[in-house]
Amino acid sequence: MTYYSDWINQILIFAIFAMSLNLLMGYAGQVSVAHAAFGGVGGYAAGYLSAHSGTPFLLAIVIGVAIAAVIGGIISLPALRLSQEYLVLLTLAAATILISIVTSVDIFGGALGLQGIQPAELFGKQLLLPEDWLVPLIVAAVLVYLVCWRLGESPYGRVLRGIREDEMVTRALGKNVFTYKVAAFAITAGMAGLAGALLAFYNGLAIPSQYGFSYAMAIIAMVILGGAGNLNGSVVGAIVVVGSEPFLQKVVNIAPDKASLIRLLLYGLLLVVVLLVRPQGIVPERLQRRGLLGRLLRRDEDEVPEATGPPAASEAASAPSEPVASGNGAAPAGEAGQVVVEVNGLEKAFGGIQAVNGLDIELAAGQITGLIGPNGAGKTTVFNLLTGSIQPDAGTVVLRGEDITGRPPNRVAQKGMVRSFQDVRVYPRLSALQNVLMGIPDQPGEHALPLFLAPWRVIRGERQARRRALECLGFVGLADKAHESAGEMAFGEQKLVALARLLATDADILLLDEPASGIDTRWVDRMLEAIERLRTEGKIICIVEHNLHVVERIADRIFFMDGGKVAAKGTMEELRSQKHLVEAYFGVV
Amino acid sequence: MDLHQFIQLTVNGLINGSTYALLGVGFALILGVTGRFHFAYAFTYTLTGYLAAVAASSWGLPVIPAMLIGLLVGIVMGVLIEVGVYRPLAAKAGTNSLLVIFVASLGITIAGQSAITLIWGLNAQARTLEAFKISTWHLGSINFTNLDVLTVVVAWACTLAFSAFLRFSSHGRQIKAVRANPEMAQAVGIDSRAIYRVAFAIGSIFAGVAAILYTLKYAAVPDMGQRPVFYALVVAFIGGTARAPWKVGLTGLGLGLIESWSGNWVSAQWSSTIVFAVLLIYLTWQSLKSAAWARPIRVLAQQS
Repeated sequence: MTYYSDWINQILIFAIFAMSLNLLMGYAGQVSVAHAAFGGVGGYAAGYLSAHSGTPFLLAIVIGVAIAAVIGGIISLPALRLSQEYLVLLTLAAATILISIVTSVDIFGGALGLQGIQPAELFGKQLLLPEDWLVPLIVAAVLVYLVCWRLGESPYGRVLRGIREDEMVTRALGKNVFTYKVAAFAITAGMAGLAGALLAFYNGLAIPSQYGFSYAMAIIAMVILGGAGNLNGSVVGAIVVVGSEPFLQKVVNIAPDKASLIRLLLYGLLLVVVLLVRPQGIVPERLQRRGLLGRLLRRDEDEVPEATGPPAASEAASAPSEPVASGNGAAPAGEAGQVVVEVNGLEKAFGGIQAVNGLDIELAAGQITGLIGPNGAGKTTVFNLLTGSIQPDAGTVVLRGEDITGRPPNRVAQKGMVRSFQDVRVYPRLSALQNVLMGIPDQPGEHALPLFLAPWRVIRGERQARRRALECLGFVGLADKAHESAGEMAFGEQKLVALARLLATDADILLLDEPASGIDTRWVDRMLEAIERLRTEGKIICIVEHNLHVVERIADRIFFMDGGKVAAKGTMEELRSQKHLVEAYFGVV
Repeated sequence: MDLHQFIQLTVNGLINGSTYALLGVGFALILGVTGRFHFAYAFTYTLTGYLAAVAASSWGLPVIPAMLIGLLVGIVMGVLIEVGVYRPLAAKAGTNSLLVIFVASLGITIAGQSAITLIWGLNAQARTLEAFKISTWHLGSINFTNLDVLTVVVAWACTLAFSAFLRFSSHGRQIKAVRANPEMAQAVGIDSRAIYRVAFAIGSIFAGVAAILYTLKYAAVPDMGQRPVFYALVVAFIGGTARAPWKVGLTGLGLGLIESWSGNWVSAQWSSTIVFAVLLIYLTWQSLKSAAWARPIRVLAQQS
C-alpha cells in the first residue's frame, strides 16, 4: 500500500507541475525549461521557513508559492520581446542560475540539500506516511486543475491562445500581450512553486537535483505526450511518465536501477514518436468549449436571429442594415471632412533602404482614403508605422490632437485605430466567432481577477461579447458560419472574418491592407459593400490596394506613394490627369 | 590579484575558451543553416566521447581508430537525427516548428543518454581514454599541460579551417547561401536538403572533437553532454549564428576568459553561473533594443 501510495503521490505532484507548464506552453505558446527550477524556488523557500523559523506547513507553502510567482514574473520580463528560441535560452539560463544559487549558498545545505524540514501538519494530524498524503495531494491537484481550467477555458484563455497563434495580430487588436505573458509566467511559476513546496515537505528534504534539468525535461515531456492545450492530457502525461517506473518494476519485473533507465529511454523515444505520429498528444486540445458555461452560452446564441443568407454577392445587400459602428461607446467620428489622423514627415529606414521618406498624409472623417503606388513604395510600412508595430525614425502621428507616435500597437488600437493584414492572419485554429470575440475590448473574462471573484460579471460580459461578435459577423454576412474553424474557410471568407474582427474592436479608424486582393470576385463585391456601408456609418477608413478599379470605386481621396513619400494626391480623376503618373504606374488606361 | 595569478587565470580561460569556441561554432552552424534548435547536440557529443573511450578500453582498439569510430558514429547519428526526425517534423509543423523540434531534441537526448548507460555504463559509468602521457609544462611560473596545448591547437585549427572552407570553397559558399536564404538557394539549384545534412555532419564533428578532448582530459560519463550544450548555446547565440566561425570562436574565447577571471572573486562553483549571468544580461539588452519604451535610451546611446 505504501509503495503504491508513494507513486500515486508523485504522480499527483508532477501532474501539478505539468498542468502549470501546460497553461503556459500549451495555451499561451511560451516555452519554459525553468518550471522545475520555479518548483525549486517554492520548495526551498517553504522548506527553509519550516526548518529555520518553524513556520507552519500551510503558511510556508503559501509564502513559497508567492516567492516563486514573483521570481517567475521577473524572469519573464526580458523574454517578452524575444522570439521563441531566445525564450528557451532565457529560461535555461534562469533555471541554471536558480539551481546553482541553492547549491552554492550555505544556508540551503549545498548539494546535500536542505535538511530539517518539519513534518507537514494538517488539522492537528502529522502527515508521515505516503497514505497520509493522498487526500491532501488530491485536493491540491484538483484545486490547480480548477484554476488552470478557469484560466484556460475562458475569455482569458482565448487571449492566451490568440497570443500562441499570432502574437502580432493579438497586439494589433488592442490586447496587452505584455501583461498577459508576465501574468502567465507568474501564475504558472506560482503553481510550479506549489508543486515544488509539496515535494519538499513530502520528502522532508529539498535537494538541487530534485529540481534540476532532467526534471524540467520530464515535465515538458508530460505536457507534450499528454497533449498541449488540454489539462486532462497533462494528468495523463504525468501518469505515463512517472507511473512507468513502478509499472516496469512490478509488472515487467525489472530491477529498480535498470527500470529507471529503461523508463527514461522509453519516454524519450515515446516523445519523438508522438511528435512524429500524433503531434497533438494523447488527449488533443479541444477548440470548441463544451463546459457548463459554454453550454449556457450556446443556448443563448441560438436566440440571436440568423443574420444573413448564403454567400452570394447579390444577396449581400440584404444583410441586416442596423449600424455596427456604434457598438459600445465608440468615440464620435467627427464632422465629415474633419481631419482625424495627421501624419507628418514620417521616416523609416531598414538598413540602407529608406522605406518611408518624409511622408505626410491625413485621414478625414466620413471618407475612404486610398493609398496606392508601385510595389515597394512603402505602403504596408506606413500601416506598420501608424499602428506602432515598428518604430519610426522621425516624424509624428497625431490622432485627434494626441501624439501617438511610437505607441505600442495595443495602445494605438485602444485609441481607436486598428489595421488588417495583407495576408489576412485569422487565427486558423479558432472558430470564426472566437476570432471575432478576440476583437471585443474590455471583456471582464479577459482578466484573471474577475474570473475568480466576479463570475457573474464574466458570464454577463461573455454573453454581451458573443451577441456583439455575432452582429459583426452578421454585418459581413457570415453569421451562419460562426462555428466553423477559420483556417478552413475560403480566403475571401477569411478576409471578411478579419474585417468583422476589426469591427468588433469598436475602433473608428480602420486601416485595411489590400482588403479585396486575392479573393474571388463574388467576395470582392461583398467586401466593398461592407466597406462603403462602414463609411456611411462614420468610420474613417484607409485602404492600401493594388486593384485600381477597387480604389476608384470606393476611395474619396487618394494618396499616390512612390519612393517612400506622397508623390501626388487627389481624386482618381485628378491623378489620371497627371501624365507622368499614368506612364509610371497606371500604364495604358 | 597579482600579475602571476592573473596570467595563470588568463591561460586557463584561453584553454577552456577554445573548447567553448569549438562547441559554439558547431552549434551555430547547425542553428544558422538549418534553423533547428538541436539540443541533441549533447547526445552526439556524448556518443562520440563515450564510444571512443569504450572502443579503446573494452574493445582493445588503438586510440586513433577508437577516436575515428567515435567521430564517425557521432556524424552518422547527427545526420540521422536530421533526416529521420527533424526534417519530417519541420515539414509537418510548417513555420512554427521550433518548439516541436526542440522538444523532440530533448526526447532524443533523454533516450540517448539512457541508452548509453544501459548498453555500456551499467557497471562502470566513467570511461577514460589515454592517448599519450599527460605532463605539465612550466613557462616561468605559469602551468599548463601538453593536452592543453593540443586542445588549443586542435580547436583553432578546426575553427580556422572551417572559416576558410566557408569563405573560399564552392561548397562553403553554398552553405552560406542556404544560411542566408534557403528558398533562394534552392531556386538557383542548390540542394538545401543536402546542405542541411552537411551542416549536421560538420556540426557533429565539432561536437565530437570537443568531446574527445574532454574525455582525454577527464573521462567519458553518460551525462557529459549537458554542460557543453549549454555553453554551445550561449556562444552560438551571443556570437551570432550568421557570423564567420572564427568570430563565433572569439565569443567562446571571451566567455572562457570571463569565466576564468571571475574565479578570482567568486568560488569555482559559481563560475558557470557567471556564464549564464552574461547570457541573461545579453538577452535583456536584446529585448531592450526592440522595446518601444526604451526608445529614448537608444537615442541617447546613439548620440553619445
